[in-house]
Amino acid sequence: MLHNWLVALRLARRDLRGGLAGFRILLLSLGLGVAAIAGVGSLTASILEGMAANGRVIIGGDIDLRLTHRAATADELDWLDANSLAVGTSLTMRTIIHGPDGDARALSELKAVDGAWPLFGSATLADGSKVTDALAPVDGVPGMVVDPLLARRLGVDTGDTVRMGEATFRIAGMLGNEPDRGSSGSVLFGPRSIVALDAMAHTGLLQPGSLVYWHYKLVLPDGADIEAFTARMNAALPDAGWRVLDRQRGAPGVESFILRLRVFLTLVGLTALLVGGVGVGNAVSAHLDSRRTAIAVLKCTGATGADITRIFLIQILLLGGIGIAGGLVLGAIVPFLTAGLLAQLLPAAPEATLFPGPLALAALFGLLVTLAFTLWPLGAARRTRAGGLFRAVIGDAGERPPLAFVLGAGLSLAGLAALALFSSDNMEVAGWFVVSAIGCFAVLRGAAWAIARLAARVEGPRSSAFRMALANLHRPGAPTASVMVSLGLGVTLLAAIALIEGNIADQVDRRVAEEAPTFFFLDIQPDQIDDFRTAVLSVPGTANLKTVPTLRGRITRLNGEPADEARVDPGEAWVLRGDRGLTYAADAPANSPVVAGEWWPADYAGPPLVSFEDEAAAGLGLKLGDTITVNVLGREMTATIANLRRIDWSSFSINYVMIFDPGMLRGAPHTLLATVEATDSADPLLFRTITDRFPTITAIRVKDAIVMFDTILAQVAMAVRSAATVTLAAGLLVLAGAIAAGHRRRVREAVVLKVIGATRGQILRITALEFAVLGGVTAIVAGLAGTAAAWVVIEGVMDGEFTLLPARLGIVVFGAIGLTTALGLAGAWRALGRRPAAELRVA
Amino acid sequence: MQVPGERSDMGESLIRLESVHLTLDGAAGPVKILKGIDLQVQRGETVAVLGPSGSGKSTLLAALGGLEAVSSGTLTVAGEDLTRLDEDGLALFRRRHVAIVFQAFHLLPTMTALENVAAPMELAGVRDAFDRAEAELVAVGLGERTGHYPSQLSGGEQQRVAIARALAVNPSLILADEPTGNLDGTTGGRIADLLFGACTGRGATLVLVTHDETLARRCGRIVRIADGRIVADAMQPAEAAD
Repeated sequence: MLHNWLVALRLARRDLRGGLAGFRILLLSLGLGVAAIAGVGSLTASILEGMAANGRVIIGGDIDLRLTHRAATADELDWLDANSLAVGTSLTMRTIIHGPDGDARALSELKAVDGAWPLFGSATLADGSKVTDALAPVDGVPGMVVDPLLARRLGVDTGDTVRMGEATFRIAGMLGNEPDRGSSGSVLFGPRSIVALDAMAHTGLLQPGSLVYWHYKLVLPDGADIEAFTARMNAALPDAGWRVLDRQRGAPGVESFILRLRVFLTLVGLTALLVGGVGVGNAVSAHLDSRRTAIAVLKCTGATGADITRIFLIQILLLGGIGIAGGLVLGAIVPFLTAGLLAQLLPAAPEATLFPGPLALAALFGLLVTLAFTLWPLGAARRTRAGGLFRAVIGDAGERPPLAFVLGAGLSLAGLAALALFSSDNMEVAGWFVVSAIGCFAVLRGAAWAIARLAARVEGPRSSAFRMALANLHRPGAPTASVMVSLGLGVTLLAAIALIEGNIADQVDRRVAEEAPTFFFLDIQPDQIDDFRTAVLSVPGTANLKTVPTLRGRITRLNGEPADEARVDPGEAWVLRGDRGLTYAADAPANSPVVAGEWWPADYAGPPLVSFEDEAAAGLGLKLGDTITVNVLGREMTATIANLRRIDWSSFSINYVMIFDPGMLRGAPHTLLATVEATDSADPLLFRTITDRFPTITAIRVKDAIVMFDTILAQVAMAVRSAATVTLAAGLLVLAGAIAAGHRRRVREAVVLKVIGATRGQILRITALEFAVLGGVTAIVAGLAGTAAAWVVIEGVMDGEFTLLPARLGIVVFGAIGLTTALGLAGAWRALGRRPAAELRVA
Repeated sequence: MQVPGERSDMGESLIRLESVHLTLDGAAGPVKILKGIDLQVQRGETVAVLGPSGSGKSTLLAALGGLEAVSSGTLTVAGEDLTRLDEDGLALFRRRHVAIVFQAFHLLPTMTALENVAAPMELAGVRDAFDRAEAELVAVGLGERTGHYPSQLSGGEQQRVAIARALAVNPSLILADEPTGNLDGTTGGRIADLLFGACTGRGATLVLVTHDETLARRCGRIVRIADGRIVADAMQPAEAAD
């Protein structure tokens, strides 16, 4: 057995002496797809590894405890002090900072720190000096370190003074490095400012119910068991209600974002590999076709079918191995190339190292694609009829392979699907991908068949160029099917991405224009509400002022069972993560209809009741009559679910998962949240009026937040689009391969056409028509498939309203037609360059 | 001269065809190529098959090599009933008994002369394949050109390599399809000398398809085919044959 393989290896190697020119497309197609998957895998691994390795720095301790609205009690602090090596205290909140001239003001994500901050890593100014040194008061004015962007918005520089709340601060320097920025709250609504914790007392910002996050960062002895410590802490302080982060998972938000991005980018990479697979199949078919005489000769000299299979399987695996190895090298260097660039955008610098896991996965994908797309032609080649050697006509090209090869190809495809499913962080998405990929293949293959049939049936178009172009689409051996499938997959993906991205942006923009308020105002104290209302209404052009009481709390128990032990739908687990906004109301809100149960009477005074959002309730396994316990300001409160509401989260109205009856929360310290609509001319005046008169109220301009959102959406879309471009590149490679394979025939055609009097222009016209028809049909079918996919995602998955965006779709479709035609013409141009006499002599 | 069917058996039969029909699928439908062939060839015989183009002589050769399956009738070569063998069985049958020499040489272009001759022995698991291949090349006068690729050899040299490849496995049956058809007269004569000399020296049976009456007359027997049927089968006078 081994002997047979060794002989086959020798013969395979000798056969490859003919050169690798025919394998360029195979090597590039496989390499590109494998590089995409390996690159995505390595990059995300390097990011996650970087975060894991720097967990202590990211969260600023071994454990970060976060309390909302309130600081830790003395008892809690005593316990923490007694059970850890060190405790660092800080708080974060959003606030408005006023510039020195009175007019400039900007929203900032404020952080107030104690003298020990940071416990790990170093916080420095742009000039390298320590942040905490700069915060000390000078002439009684405390220091503030700001992000350079905030300084620009306020028009201030080091040494200037700014006002925050009711206190004045001196700009002590520009922030250079903030080690624990990744875990201390999202820096989404404004740039960072940092002050000393003890300077906060004079600001008046720390009011009861204000949205303030208090952080307690603990240092534990080396080797301490974090889970055991957390269990002990929860047992000793069961009502604290804090969110616990530990160094093993310092930035869960970033981590889950990276994991989600990995799911999508890996699948996009896999699409590129599948497209490449078509190219691999074409290249192997062409190679085996060119070796049919050699196969027949080997058969005449006693080679069995198994010998033939072994020889060419070894060849394919050797070449596939080279392509895969090239792809792995490219993928493996991605972390080394990007670590420096990404370090500024992430909580910790990615680890620039080799990641064998993602590389092995990409190699396995590459191997399965190679087998899936080559076993069929390999099986067909095994059946080459050697008797043809006596007639100078070798075998039949389209012979069906033996059953074992068909099964082998099928198993490889099934293996690919299984690997895509089980290696994914999201099996549901991967499952949809597998179904969609099969659907796309089927639709494009069917369309190719239909076009070839149609082209054969069109009866004598008047234009001879058009007639010849159509004939080229259905002649024996025409690459119509492979080009349509491979190019079509890439275009489908690009069209779907363009439409999904466009629809999201369009909906956000349209709904912002139609529904969004101009401002959100946070942290309005109950005793300020009348003055606030008067101030808002005094500004001409304001309307629809809505206020709602708000405070934050965590769900700690579901039906009496600890919430962290509950088995919940991962899609709804966010409700249990961290704290949620809570409110109370006597009347049912107008914008979220009750879909089950009854709203409580306006004068209800019985045991606590809560109204829950219906999808979240289903995800948490809750139904009417069940109880939930929330921890608000360190107190556990239990309420019974009285009704379920449906919420349109994509609207810009104020929505809460949980609305309580007024009895339970009315007495708790809370603030009010307000939304106001303002005309463009009223906007600046309203902002100035409120921030002047109420320095402790935080104003968030929706337009600014949308800009932030658009920026993030654009960045994510850019990442996905870049990966999708790899798919299109793979499709174009297959097209280029098909053009190269047909080059010989095209040269002969061009020569004969020239001999019978055709001009270069006429020949180019025939080619342009041929490829325009091929590209046009492919792009239209793929455009339709991409539109269908985008419709499913927007309407089915995102519950949105799908809008066809002709301009975006047109760019993709006409771009694809243009590229296909250009590539075809480039091939024809080369063919035209050959001199007829020389070619005819060779023939 | 004998008339068809009048030839008497002399000794052991290597090839035995009885009522062999062979139909191939063509673009315009099935085409009957062989229409009831009866033929016996003894071990060590040299047989020329003559006939016009399209008469079925090459297909007969392919059938003898197990490269085309007969549609009906009995076909036994070296004691093996070829109609009962599957694809792999036929490959192993060729490996044990048959060597084929083509008009177009059909050497593997990516292998040297030595590797071309060794390839069938390598496939058969012969340990000293390369030593034997070299000896065969020396025997056909190409000892100095073992490392050359087919493209570096003349037509005559390529056919000598093909003959060396055929003889190296010590076949009991050599099938030759117009072995001198692509060569000039002088070179063709030398190739024929080589082929007949080797067959005589090794006791191999030769079935040779040709249009060349002169070459055919060097065989001990001439079988004439027309329209898929044997129309004449005659022994050559001893002095005419090699």
